[in-house]
Amino acid sequence: MILSIEELSIAGRERTIVDNVSLAVREGEFMALVGQSGSGKSLLSQSIGQLLPPNLHASGRIVFEGSNLLERTSKEMRALRGSRISYIFQDYQGAFTPFRSIGGHFDEYQKVHGEKSASVRKTKAAAALESVGLDAALLRRYPFQLSGGQLQRAAIATSLLLSPRLLIADEATTALDSVSGHRVLELLVAKQKETGCAILFITHDWRHVRRYANRLSVMKEGRIVESGGKHRILDHPQHEYTRKLIDAAPVLSRSLKSGLEEETP
Amino acid sequence: MKSMPARVRTRPSKSKKHSVQAIVAALFALLVIAASVYTFLYLKHDPTLTDLRGRLLGASTLHPLGTDHLGRDVLTRLLLGGGQTLGYSLLALGAALVIGIPFGLIAGYKRGWVDKVFMRIADGFLAFPDTIVAIVLSGLLGAGISNLVLAIVIVKWVSYARLVRSTVLSESQKDYIRIARTNGLSDARIMTKHLLPHIAGHVLVLASLDLGKIILLISSLSYIGLGAQPPTPEWGAMLNDSRPYFQSRPELMVYPGLAIVSVVLLANMLGDYLRDRFDVKKEVQP
Repeated sequence: MILSIEELSIAGRERTIVDNVSLAVREGEFMALVGQSGSGKSLLSQSIGQLLPPNLHASGRIVFEGSNLLERTSKEMRALRGSRISYIFQDYQGAFTPFRSIGGHFDEYQKVHGEKSASVRKTKAAAALESVGLDAALLRRYPFQLSGGQLQRAAIATSLLLSPRLLIADEATTALDSVSGHRVLELLVAKQKETGCAILFITHDWRHVRRYANRLSVMKEGRIVESGGKHRILDHPQHEYTRKLIDAAPVLSRSLKSGLEEETP
Repeated sequence: MKSMPARVRTRPSKSKKHSVQAIVAALFALLVIAASVYTFLYLKHDPTLTDLRGRLLGASTLHPLGTDHLGRDVLTRLLLGGGQTLGYSLLALGAALVIGIPFGLIAGYKRGWVDKVFMRIADGFLAFPDTIVAIVLSGLLGAGISNLVLAIVIVKWVSYARLVRSTVLSESQKDYIRIARTNGLSDARIMTKHLLPHIAGHVLVLASLDLGKIILLISSLSYIGLGAQPPTPEWGAMLNDSRPYFQSRPELMVYPGLAIVSVVLLANMLGDYLRDRFDVKKEVQP
């Protein structure tokens, strides 16, 4: 169990947005968190890294590698973010500071996480870019000189740069067309196989869930309504809301099979 | 994937005009600075030495612009006065920037109650018009150019704090700042390395446009006797000194007046150019 969220509530001054949520992510698995917009899944992911907006307060426990993240100081969290836990968001175009080179970003992230040798940083950055299928020469380029696809890969490379144990992909494919979305996920899954990191994948797209997830949780209005293995939930949804969500998924046939029979053991 | 479109920069003709202006301005500024430095290093005439026998002389090879009512060389005083006026203006501007930028940066980045407290302080300062503050300060601390600079700083830093804050407010919502945070960068690092360079352009434009205003302010307050005290050569003070001789020797007022006008124009031209150069829209669109 790499991450275990226990009875987490996130509340603003007036209302509770995430209510008593418990969720576990196992070592090396692909866990999907599914829900409509506004169900609180993004806030949940932000609370893991202590990234909530200042007007929101999280209570409960978020246990990562055996310690409660909500009790960590902001300095300790800074050291964790980017190195042990990293994030991927949907907007790749704006992922890099416009006036800094791509290599500058790679260099800075390693520097703040304690890599002192400049030549090691450089080698690592080049290796990271090459591992996502990009030319290391891109390190000298600026964000506006890269195409959307290149930025996307480079952004993923920065997230994986320091081999995190947990990768949180917050709607990482939402803004992409389905082919690019699948390409990003293929890349993530391939990197996951290499590094063994766990992925918490936040989405509302059932197609991705069906294809890539091991387990999933369904979230509605700040509560988890159903959790379990992918095949169990997709083929035999227990909760009314899960059934509704699956029915609303954009597929031609009215049923969305988990794909159990297609998989080779 | 490999081919990279070169960044195409098409400038409208207006900014071309401004870049011509900028070259003219830069040349003129260089000339003025060179002349000031030259005068400073090789003083032919003591700018404060009075010579009552040689007062109000016309132009000659010894005194290219003549002498004033106390027999002091006008050209020397004019050039040294330029150094005074410009120097103190830049000092005031620099101090306003040093206070205003970090103030706005922290307020805009931290938001919440920090922002509220910081901005109410700024609003408090904004309530005083610059001339009033200058007059009050010279009343309290005595007339003098250092008090004048202080007064200008007190009034001017607020506009920088506000500008920086508003830019940071919108900029820090963008994803690259969020991603910098999720990658474990400290707030201080994000502010200095990822936000500050972005706002530098905006600040530079406002500063260069302000420079003209500050020069005018220093000159005009010196003219009414609140700034530079005699015998310091300063353009506003020189204007004031030559006022009684306007009928007989009008050029004594024309020289410092022209100097003020041209330097203020120069600063504005520079500001126009910088505004084009750091156009926000151009920056956002690749």
